[in-house]
Amino acid sequence: MVLDFGDDSSKSISIEVNKAFSTISNLGLPLLNIIPSFNKIVIIFENSEIRDQNIEKITNEMNEIKPQSHKSSNKSWIIPACYDESFALDLKIIQKLHQTTKEEIINLHSSESYYTYYIGFMPGFPYLGDIPSQLITPRLATPRIKIPARSIGIAKNHTCIYPKVSPGGWNIIGQIPFDIFDLQNPNPSLFLPGDKVSFYSVNHKEFQQIQKKHFSINELIKEFSS
Amino acid sequence: MNSLVITRTGTHLTIQDFGRFHYQHLGVSPSGAMDQRIIKELEKIIPLHHNQFIEFAYVGPSIKVKEGSIKVCVGGNCNMNIQKNNGTQIICQPYKSINLFEGDELNIHNTIDSVYGYIAVEHGLGLDPCLKSFSTDTKAGIGSINRPLKVDDTFEILEDVSSWDHLSIPNPAYKKETNFKVYPGPQLQFFTDQALQSFISSTYTISAQSDRMGIRLKGEAILSSESHDILSEGILPGSIQVPSDGQPIVLMRDIPCTGGYPKIAILNEQDISKISQLSPGSQITFDLQTIY
Repeated sequence: MVLDFGDDSSKSISIEVNKAFSTISNLGLPLLNIIPSFNKIVIIFENSEIRDQNIEKITNEMNEIKPQSHKSSNKSWIIPACYDESFALDLKIIQKLHQTTKEEIINLHSSESYYTYYIGFMPGFPYLGDIPSQLITPRLATPRIKIPARSIGIAKNHTCIYPKVSPGGWNIIGQIPFDIFDLQNPNPSLFLPGDKVSFYSVNHKEFQQIQKKHFSINELIKEFSS
Repeated sequence: MNSLVITRTGTHLTIQDFGRFHYQHLGVSPSGAMDQRIIKELEKIIPLHHNQFIEFAYVGPSIKVKEGSIKVCVGGNCNMNIQKNNGTQIICQPYKSINLFEGDELNIHNTIDSVYGYIAVEHGLGLDPCLKSFSTDTKAGIGSINRPLKVDDTFEILEDVSSWDHLSIPNPAYKKETNFKVYPGPQLQFFTDQALQSFISSTYTISAQSDRMGIRLKGEAILSSESHDILSEGILPGSIQVPSDGQPIVLMRDIPCTGGYPKIAILNEQDISKISQLSPGSQITFDLQTIY
């Protein structure tokens, strides 16, 4: 079953998607997966019998969602980010493209509160947006084979964090000092669809101090979210 | 204590089960055995498998009992033998239980006219689940064992074999099918009648670049009249996506969680297992069903 919210990747559509996602998740239906993306939710049933029994239930529920009745369990995050040259592999390209300074890019990136559209591409990878228009940058023409774990990337009007080493085409502008996906935790992903995420700039020394603490997901929630 | 050790890995040796569900919204692939029919059959002989199956492709592994004794069963069509501790060799058959004692080594040589085979071990392999599943997704590095198995990997099985009785079922001897019924995909309307016509009337060859993530096909290019680049959306195994080169890819168990290519059609669950058993070079055709 596919729920289609319109042909657009706007934030207002995504807010509707994520509301519907949490409503469906809380119905307690025997579903294998509920996969939200920018403008759609794909629902996977265990078998066609369960599908036929529940399509109507979900459709009715969707018609009843009222914006004011939705209680958000989403978190607001303030995440330390180090934009040092040793991490910001593509900062020079962005500086050149936008004819601006390193400081201005850092200011712009850390001035916004981003919306978590959805988690995808790899375990725990958040699609965040929208970045200030002065930072909008196309993907790399040739994707990197190895992006370091915890790298912050930007591409088009989105920013992201790579949970672990991965190939990828986003422009890398910094790094965060901890892991955002923990397989040992029953809730393995630090970020959930609908969360608000902002970054604050830390220097290399502060970065290392936080890194040394090896925060668990539960400690990160206490330390960096509200 | 009973333990077994991998003495030869064969190819693509991983732990799999029926899949890892409820985490795809966090970017985690469903994974699971490529041919789920076989592990379902193995359940009849080794009911206490604890959902921990060893999957291999083309060339099977050798496993040796290091300590104690174990009961196993192999599923899939394969050639294999047991090298007994006393030097004798016994040829054995799939879908029949096998009792292995200290020093015995089971050698699975190859799968016959198919790709994937499985080993079920009574009482499992002593593994802990990872996100509620034992399956390994090697690309994402997720699993009870988050990588392919290697030589010297040792598994400890705490419980003893429940009975030495021999159990067997007839070999299901799955027919090799090359014509697949497919159902309309979510972006079917991206393709003109002419493109659809060439999709169902031409023969596609399975490419050697196929793996647990997707079976890549080579043949008549099917071009979308709209776009080959859609807003990424949730995908599921069995979807047939068409990137801009027009060569379809059948998405398999280790899918990425969302995808940005239009999906022309989708296979049913049984056929995902069937198509997984076709080796590179096999030729297939599609038959588009109108009723969904």
